[in-house]
Amino acid sequence: MPRRPRRHQRLKSWPITFSPFGRALARMGSVSKPKRHSESIENHTPSSSNGFVKHPLDEKPEGSESSDGEFDGVVQADFAFFDPKPNDFHGVKTLLQTYLDVEEWDLSGFVDLILEQTTVGTVVKVEDDEDEGIFALATALNLSRYREQKCIIQLKDLFLAKASQEKGVADQLRVLLGEQAHNVGLLVSQRVVNLPPQLLPPLYDSLFNEVSWATEDEPTEELRNSFRFKHYVMLSKIYKHKNPEQKRKRSDDSEEAIVYVKPEDEIFHKLSSWSFCFPLRTQQPAPHEMKNYRSMGLIMAVEADKIPTFRQELGSLINES
Amino acid sequence: MATRLKFENSCEVGVFSKLTNAYCLVAIGGSENFYSAFEAELSDVIPVIRTSIGGTRIVGRLCIGNKNGLLLPHTTTDQELQHLKNSLPDQVRVQRIEEKLSALGNCIACNDHVALTHTDLDKETEEVVADVLGVEVFRQTVAGNILVGSYCAFSNKGGLVHPHTSVEDLDELSTLLQVPLVAGTVNRGSEVIAAGMTVNDWTAFCGADTTATELSVIENVFKLREAKPSAIVDEMRKSLFDS
Repeated sequence: MPRRPRRHQRLKSWPITFSPFGRALARMGSVSKPKRHSESIENHTPSSSNGFVKHPLDEKPEGSESSDGEFDGVVQADFAFFDPKPNDFHGVKTLLQTYLDVEEWDLSGFVDLILEQTTVGTVVKVEDDEDEGIFALATALNLSRYREQKCIIQLKDLFLAKASQEKGVADQLRVLLGEQAHNVGLLVSQRVVNLPPQLLPPLYDSLFNEVSWATEDEPTEELRNSFRFKHYVMLSKIYKHKNPEQKRKRSDDSEEAIVYVKPEDEIFHKLSSWSFCFPLRTQQPAPHEMKNYRSMGLIMAVEADKIPTFRQELGSLINES
Repeated sequence: MATRLKFENSCEVGVFSKLTNAYCLVAIGGSENFYSAFEAELSDVIPVIRTSIGGTRIVGRLCIGNKNGLLLPHTTTDQELQHLKNSLPDQVRVQRIEEKLSALGNCIACNDHVALTHTDLDKETEEVVADVLGVEVFRQTVAGNILVGSYCAFSNKGGLVHPHTSVEDLDELSTLLQVPLVAGTVNRGSEVIAAGMTVNDWTAFCGADTTATELSVIENVFKLREAKPSAIVDEMRKSLFDS
């Protein structure tokens, strides 16, 4: 059979991690130091259904790798924030794949829940990207509003199972997931590994702003109340040093006791009412710098009153780094 | 009948399993639900073998096979090769091949009579495929994609290809393969057909996200509604017993 000339254009439908942009971003994460701050946020009206914020970022790595053919060291990226849409299903699902470690649960149902809640929730994409890859997600789900959903029931059971080892905390968790659930929001925030940190303050600002606008704008009293959160519960991943005592012996030790995968978790942890860690079942092979650490899950609760403090501290943390 | 299932929260069941008319390979390390789904459908008829290939779980994408044979990449270890030779029926020839494109499942799609291969496959590999699998080999693309093994899945009864395949391409492929083809998706709009499902002549396994519409398209094109494995056994019985 003779080889036919290719009549059609190659369709680029690779998952986002394999796109040239994704690769460039991964390389940036290891070499670059961003030199420009993001632009100031445009004011968007509370009732806009598609308000988005543009953040052009220009990053120049100090040493670009010599092996790159196409990559000359500068990646222009215009990130835009959008409300969740049903089309985002696959991208959001990919981001949440490891949310509950390897436990089998109704992940698709959870993603559907997030995508249906268009009033509170933000996804971060690149402008004019045909792939429509999702780079980050932030949302808050009221635990009582969705208490009938299978995914939320499974999630609650899993949280309680992990907490069962920690006597003091387990009761507080049970209260938050049970009687107090109408005041509790599950904060879900996931992103690709090397997303520029300058996006974090606007991302969280937009999330908490949407929550407060929803308390005024939602059509029914019940929905308005469902966003008057008093507590936020969240699940994150951290790396804990295997030998915490070792740290005290060395004065110039550069190794921290806990390494936070997401920088804002450190602030949340500091402001939390309570928190606990549990070992994760999957232990991925660690890069050299992380060989003394093991990955753990961290569940914590933060009071909603502490959020303004969080937003301030996040701003200063990102600005100084 | 088509079954929906998940491998550890992933709906890409075609990555972690390889189903043919004579055997089924399943990756190690998933939960018991994954195996039970296969064993419930298949264990009376064909062996369900748990294995890894090259120490990985992506068995569906690394190997290619049909009722006549099984081809493994050069990354397969000796123990894995031996385990497979021991577990597979005798009439299935198992061979490990040296091919630079080692993800054979992504590069080659086949049924018991015809195979479509990646355009850059070695000539030697093409000959081994024709010999061990007993098929006629065609170098083709599917909707402009050279990874034919990923973007189409076909059995002896029908086939499902990438949703953007043009009507002319569909006709051309259908003539080559001599089976009816349909362009469609699996797992709620995923275009990577062969990663999202695995199929043989009487049953199919799809990812849990597959919608009811997608499932009915699959059941129609692969003619799964009337298909029963006992049909094969009955045929054999007729030839073995004089009556």
